[in-house]
Amino acid sequence: MTHRYIKIAATSVVLVGAFALMMWSTLRDGTEYYKNINEVVSDQQQWHDKQLQLHGYVVPGSIFRKRDSLEYKFRVQNNPARSTLPDGGVVDATYTGIVPDTFKDEAEVVLKGRLTPTGFHTDPNGVMAKCPSKYEAASKSAASGT
Amino acid sequence: MASLGTFLLLFAFVGCSYAAVISVVGARRRSRRLIESGIGAFYLICALMTAASAVLINAFLTGDYSIKYVAHYSDSVQPLFYRITSYWGGLDGSIMFWVFLLSIFGSLAVFVNRERHRELIPYVVATISVVQMFFLFLMVVHKNPFTTSLTAAPADGQGLNPLLQNFYMAIHPPSLYTGFVGMTIPFAFGIAALATGHLDDSWLRAVRRWTMFSWLFLSFGLTLGMIWAYEELGWGGYWAWDPVENAGLLPWFTATAFLHSVMVQERRSMLRVWNVTLVIVTFFLTIFGTFMTRSGVVQSVHAFGDDPILAKLFTGFMIIILGVSFGLVIWRLPLLKARNELDSWMSREAAFMVNNWVLLFSALFILFATMFPTLSEAVTGHRLTVAAPFFNKWMVPIGFVLLFLTGVGPLLAWRKSTISNLRDSFIFPVAAALVTAATLAALGVRVWSSGLCFAMSAMVFGTIAQEFWRGGNIRRKNTGTDMLTAIIGLVGRNKRRYGGYIVHLGIVLIFLGFAGNGFKKDEQVLLTPGQEAKIASYTVRNNGLKVSDDGQKQMTTAYLSIFQNGKEIDQLYPAKWAYRKHEQEPTTEVAIRRTFAEDLYIVLAFQPNDLATQTATLQIVVNPLVDWIWFGFGIMALGTGIALLPERAYSFALAKLPADAATTTAALLLAMLVFGGARLSAQTGMGGAADPNVQSSHYARSDFERQMQHEIVCTCGSCGHATIAECRKDPCTTSHEMRGQLAALIDEGKNHDEIIQAFIAKYGSEEMLGAPLDKGFSRLAWLFPYLVGATSAVAVGFAAVKWTRKSDPTIDAPASIDSTLEERIDDELRDLD
Repeated sequence: MTHRYIKIAATSVVLVGAFALMMWSTLRDGTEYYKNINEVVSDQQQWHDKQLQLHGYVVPGSIFRKRDSLEYKFRVQNNPARSTLPDGGVVDATYTGIVPDTFKDEAEVVLKGRLTPTGFHTDPNGVMAKCPSKYEAASKSAASGT
Repeated sequence: MASLGTFLLLFAFVGCSYAAVISVVGARRRSRRLIESGIGAFYLICALMTAASAVLINAFLTGDYSIKYVAHYSDSVQPLFYRITSYWGGLDGSIMFWVFLLSIFGSLAVFVNRERHRELIPYVVATISVVQMFFLFLMVVHKNPFTTSLTAAPADGQGLNPLLQNFYMAIHPPSLYTGFVGMTIPFAFGIAALATGHLDDSWLRAVRRWTMFSWLFLSFGLTLGMIWAYEELGWGGYWAWDPVENAGLLPWFTATAFLHSVMVQERRSMLRVWNVTLVIVTFFLTIFGTFMTRSGVVQSVHAFGDDPILAKLFTGFMIIILGVSFGLVIWRLPLLKARNELDSWMSREAAFMVNNWVLLFSALFILFATMFPTLSEAVTGHRLTVAAPFFNKWMVPIGFVLLFLTGVGPLLAWRKSTISNLRDSFIFPVAAALVTAATLAALGVRVWSSGLCFAMSAMVFGTIAQEFWRGGNIRRKNTGTDMLTAIIGLVGRNKRRYGGYIVHLGIVLIFLGFAGNGFKKDEQVLLTPGQEAKIASYTVRNNGLKVSDDGQKQMTTAYLSIFQNGKEIDQLYPAKWAYRKHEQEPTTEVAIRRTFAEDLYIVLAFQPNDLATQTATLQIVVNPLVDWIWFGFGIMALGTGIALLPERAYSFALAKLPADAATTTAALLLAMLVFGGARLSAQTGMGGAADPNVQSSHYARSDFERQMQHEIVCTCGSCGHATIAECRKDPCTTSHEMRGQLAALIDEGKNHDEIIQAFIAKYGSEEMLGAPLDKGFSRLAWLFPYLVGATSAVAVGFAAVKWTRKSDPTIDAPASIDSTLEERIDDELRDLD
């Protein structure tokens, strides 16, 4: 019987070990930091060239699109009026591709991409515009008058 | 009316507490009268919930906007169908819908099992009642759908979100809920078995079909969700590993595991603790999934909302579930000892065990990855998120292991396979896999994951074909009929086994669809008028943009010509629709050109100044093999339906059908092929063939006429350019006349283009041509799998009543006329195992 338990124990150790190793290696390049504007702006160096998901609000009037192209330039900031986060600076962002319908002035967005010294480079398909009233939160947005 | 609804809910809550308490007391005192009283109260809850649902639906239909829920999720212009589906359009209503379904399923399960599993019933009633109590409590104290406005009632509602006003979205939640709620029944029987100590295999028999039934609806719900995402959200894919999607997938994995491991317990009396655990975990995951998506614990682009009170209530309930269930399991461990041990790893039970581990692992992995952002924030303070690539990195290999086991499992014998029968059974499937792999390599396919998937699919297909062929051959020899009849008879003799193989076949098709993803092409282009873009074998030309308005919404449509090999093969019209009251959230109307080989999928991304320049900003996606996923689901539903079919229905069908079976199958396949090439756009969701708002004359007499009525717009000017099928406001004599003209033209035998020409000639312009809608007819082909699914659902309904009476000797009599012969076949089939 002890022989059998040793076998089972050895198998479990190997399996758990392999699993942990795989988990660790895939998590290392599979994860992205989810950050708010103020967290990134306060310590830009630390976040350079890390895969980020940047959460913020589009600065009104900051969206520019190059004529007859899909190249966008815009700026994002925190919006203390609509969230509990403090006002913490502005990040310039660039993006090439199609933006969601809800991407417009003051839209709440999550950008996937990398921060560089020249601004935030958004990945292809990396603009996710949160739509507060998509399913359930409609009453909230109605109440706050947006 | 609202206070009546609230009162009904309160009364149902009291009824639940009574049923729960009195059943347990009755069971402990062995009092027949108390138990019967508990069952009576249980049926009463079902009646109360039906009444409450009727009150809510009535409020929606009559537009009682003093009820907040009604005001929030409907408005006066909404078609009748979507007013009814608004019932489950929001959280409050969907909780109520949950209890409503649970009360129906519970009553049904108690009704059919009350004699056969008499000793379990009181605890089943108690368990289900407690679950109902939780949801009723939730409604009464926190999320009452009958809450009324404190101030004056609004004149009109806010309307259901246009994204949800879609045929698939209307039937997706009930299907998913049916799956979720159905999983409560096996759980209740499991708890009852644990509580009473009747832990032989009889409780498994009672829940096996329920699990299959719920599993089918869960699969159906997930598929509908994928179709909805594909057709309505317009990002070119169908699965994004969003928490909301994952929530539905978690119990699906554990239920699938249970459906497999239950066979091991039946055959070999092993894995008894495991099976009870799977039933509990599956139920737990249905609750957890609801908690995850509804309470705001997990951040997601589309999670449903933030609700700390709900989160607390759910957490408490989940702790109780886990504590009580596993407490009972530990208490009953001595009774749950396996009666056999694993003889060899080269056996079918070993394959089942591996399959179970992998499935459970998948569920745990997805759970972990979905909760990862929340967990990482709690542990490290940084919110780390994992995205689709991370899921894919793990789930693709796991998918391969599962696909591999699907091919290998059926080939292994119970207990132990010998070398010679391994060689015998593996040679054909492995050869099929190798030939496919070699062919793909020769053709220059370099996407390794897709290539491997194709090869393994070939192997699974080989396994299934071989099983049918060998079984059919034996039966053919014994009964002296032709092969097809023999195979149909074979399926009838062992419906679960061969139904299961058909399910596997569906899975293979679905995997083929997934594999096609490896060859996906995705481009974003900006086309000035007349400009062309090339993607894969297609060339897309922009012919300009057009804006039209039909009173309910403003439609911006791009006119595109599609060329292949220099020839124009099609025209597509992707659009953006902005609904009244929802102008800020325009809906995407994807244009899809479907073929069996690949879909051309075009999304119009509209920018404000595009209209002036007539520029079309397009996302063009080529999705190879994607339609095989939906088709595979149809096959899966068919297989499940066969496995669920009651004995009597099958022997009846067998007596009537065999002569026509071959012809029917061929005709269906032919129909699929004919419809397969037909183009279909996602704009068909609204006001289609079954438009219930039809109130006036000249109803469409044929699909063609209906299609034409939806293409031609009423010129009366007061309806805001509704199509003449929809403009039935009295007194709109214009649309009445136009429908009459259309009917006359059709009677003259004119075809589509001639009719359009005739109308253009009569009205002197193209004014009466709406945005080119392509509705109705071609959808039938794609509805086919769902019709199959619906048919099997009806069969399940029959099964629900019939399966308790299966042991009745008079019913089995017709099937066992040639009993000696059947026994011989069974023996031979067993030898095959």
